[in-house]
Parts: sequence; C-alpha cells; structure tokens
Amino acid sequence: MTATLSAGATPAMDRLISRTVEKHRPLSVHFDLTYRCNERCVHCYLDHDDHGELTTAECLKVLDDLARSGTLFLTFSGGEIFLRPDLYEILAAARRLHFDVSLKTNALLVTPERAARLCEFGVRRVQISVYSDVPAVHDAITKVPGSLERTLAAIPILLEYGLQVKLACPLMQENLMAYRGVMALAEKLGIPYILDLTITPMMDGTSGPLAHRASVPSLLPVLRDAALHACKPQPSAQASAAVNALPPTLGSAASSGMESPAYEDLPCSAGHNSCYISPYGDVFPCVQLPQAAGNLRREKFDDIWYHAPQLERLRAIRESQLPICSRCEIRSYCERCPGLALMEGGDLLGAYERACALAEEKARLAGVAVPVSALHGGRDTASIQTTPEAEFAFLAADSSSD
Amino acid sequence: MSTPATVFWQKNPALAWREIDGETVIISPNDSVMHELNDTGSFLWKNIDGKKSAVELAELLLENYEVTPDIALSDTQALLEEMSSRKLLVTVPAIGGVSP
Repeated sequence: MTATLSAGATPAMDRLISRTVEKHRPLSVHFDLTYRCNERCVHCYLDHDDHGELTTAECLKVLDDLARSGTLFLTFSGGEIFLRPDLYEILAAARRLHFDVSLKTNALLVTPERAARLCEFGVRRVQISVYSDVPAVHDAITKVPGSLERTLAAIPILLEYGLQVKLACPLMQENLMAYRGVMALAEKLGIPYILDLTITPMMDGTSGPLAHRASVPSLLPVLRDAALHACKPQPSAQASAAVNALPPTLGSAASSGMESPAYEDLPCSAGHNSCYISPYGDVFPCVQLPQAAGNLRREKFDDIWYHAPQLERLRAIRESQLPICSRCEIRSYCERCPGLALMEGGDLLGAYERACALAEEKARLAGVAVPVSALHGGRDTASIQTTPEAEFAFLAADSSSD
Repeated sequence: MSTPATVFWQKNPALAWREIDGETVIISPNDSVMHELNDTGSFLWKNIDGKKSAVELAELLLENYEVTPDIALSDTQALLEEMSSRKLLVTVPAIGGVSP
C-alpha cells in the first residue's frame, strides 16, 4: 500500500478522460444560467426571452447533484451571466462544492468589484467573445455601439485579479478576415485565444444564424493561413492538463477538444463525459445537440444522465459504424459534429454538406490530390483541379449549404 | 518529517477537486496543474479536515487498510509533505490560525 500523488499534463488528463468516458461520469458540464443578453449578436442561436429560468434554489440543487455525480469542470455561460442577479450566490455554492469553474461572458458588465468577486469565488478562467479588433466590425455583430471598447476594457481588470482570460472569436461573413487582428490583440495582451468556424442553427432548429456563416470558398484564405498552422495547440507544460481538455495555449488557433485517445471511435464527448444544462433545467448531450434527455425540475440529474434513452442511444454510436462517414477516405480531415449532423442533415448518424465540404478543402490543402468525401463520392469529380484558382472555382460552382 | 506533530492539516481552500470512482483529481487554480491521488491517497484526502494531525490520519489509515503502523505513518507523512510542497495543503496550529 502506498498513498500516491501524481501530477502531469496530457497523460493525467487522458487518464481522467478515459476513466470518465468508460464509466460515463459527467466530468464536464456547460450550464447556461440565462439566455437573456445585453448584446444581440447576429449569429446567436438563442431566444433571449426568459421562459422561466431555474430559480436560485433550483440552480443550487443542480450544483449539488452535479458534485455528487462527479462533475469537476463546470462552465457557466449564457446569454450574459452577469444578468443573473444571483450569480455570486451560485458561484459561492460552486466554490463550496469544489468545482473548477470557468465563465463565458461578453464582459460588458465587468467592473473591478465584480472581478474581485469572481476571484473571491475561485473562478479560474473567463472566456470572452471578441469578433474583431476593429470597433465597427465587432459592434456591428453585437449590435451594441461601443461594445468592443467596453469588452476590451474588462480584460486588464480580470487579469489584475488573477483570472485567466481567453478570447473566443467565432468567424462569420461579417468578420471573417478579422481573425488576424484578434490574434494580434491576444498576443499583445499575452492571453490565449480560439477561433471558431462553427455557426449553428437556432436551438429550435430554425436556420436564421446560418445566413451569417462564411461559405466554404470564403474560408479558404483562413484555412491556408500559415500563421494558424504555425500556432496549433501544443501539448505544453503542466497547464494543459486541467482545462476541459482544451489546452490554453497562447496562439491556439482552434481545438476540437477531442485530442484524447479516449475518444477514439466516439463522435465526441457529448453524453459520454459531458453535457449541457439550459437555464430552464433541460439536460442535453451538448449545446449543439438540442435533444433534451430530461428536465431537472422533474427528474434527478443521475436519473437523466444514466437512464435517458436519448443518452443511451448516443452512447451506442461508434464512428466506425456511421453509415456514410465510416467509409469516407478523408475522414481524418473532418470535424463532423453529431449535433450539426442532426440539425443540418436531419440524421444524427449522417453526413452533412458543411462538414464534408470543409474536410475536402482541408484534405486538399494537406496535399490529397482528389479529396472526395463519401457524401460526394457519387458525383463526377473528373473536373476537379488542384490549383488554387480551380479549387475556388469548383467550390463556388458546387456550393454547399452555405 | 519537519512539520511538528501538533499541527493539523487542511486542504488549500482555493483548490478544485473531485473524487471520481475512488480516485481524487485536484486542480490547483493558479497554475492549472492537475494532480491525481490513488485510492489510499484519496482516503487520506477525504479525512484531511483541518482537525487532524499526521499521526491521527495515519491511525485512520491503519484502521482501514492492511498495513503496518510504521508504514501507515511514513506513507501518511510522505504524502502530506508532498501535497504541502505543491501547495495543496496548509497546516493549522492546534491553537488556531493558518500557517503559510
């Protein structure tokens, strides 16, 4: 018998992920406390009206249940979380229950006093949405004049109180080429950032936000950008172990969070060791997979997590058994999302145009001569050329769902 | 062991941690390092409450695991020192107050 203590980076996180995936422990939970927001971002997938948010007592009960179930990584988001008047009460409870807490916010309401409270309650990391370093671009997306200035003013305040800050930059038509400015901004501030090409339908399935999604052809300059390839997340130092499997690497361009070998042959972590809880108590496998497995006002978390048929079905899915994607020759270039497969293709197990078109471009950029996804396998590909101009023309002619 | 036997051991209140299937994972927030405790380490961790000395924790280990008294004490002391060096634990003088 020896009592041991070990610490480390990726191997430690891999072991934790393996254990929790194998036994279906809800290691990581994304909990939206409100859908209300003080911005009106053009690409947002949420209905900002309050349809009956969980009360403070109900939120605290959820936290108790999650702690008992083994959740360690807890992300509070929204909507704008600072619009919850009981935010600090909820954070205090999360601290008492020893969660590792991250927040997502637009930071418009951050003040030194509020940053001090976040510090007091042990919040480790704050992710802030920044769409551009150019006010006109950012503010046109948020529809709040002056929002970039206020958001950026919050960052040094949060840093001063010892909070880790990360910039998140969803890329869409309106700000597609702004990523270089956001990268430079993050590097100047000495903080990590993440670029995200995912624009999703509304949670009710309507497609409004997709009108803002950048087309695959328009993404080619981004996909080709050597600066992004040069600063892909590195398995660096000890810090990488603890951040929801997303290394907080300075200059990280993008990460699917699925680097762990524990996820091999699984579509993603959703329903295996992570889930999403809405402000109304609905439990989903993921915020991008809006199939409610149950509601915490009517059922205990464990009863939903371990017995909901929706989650059991999801857990049975293996990548190697997907009817179309399992035979795709460029699968390794694909970032297929089961939720988007459902929302955009109508089939949780299916292929969908956006993912296939992006995978083909990534494969082409990696040197695959004639990259054709399984979804497109039946098409005539004889005219495909590999010169950049021809790629662009082909894609423009063969437009995807964008 | 350099720490006097009269001190009590207490978890660093800034930590995030969770016991998952008998093994404890601890995140130290300032450096985001993840630490893992095995079964016996987790047993000790659960019993570290700011009210027990190393000797008392070793006695608990002795009562619950098949181990000799000497090994229980040496293992306990070694783990406490290691966790303390990583700032996962603080000591509390028996008469009150938290030492750095």
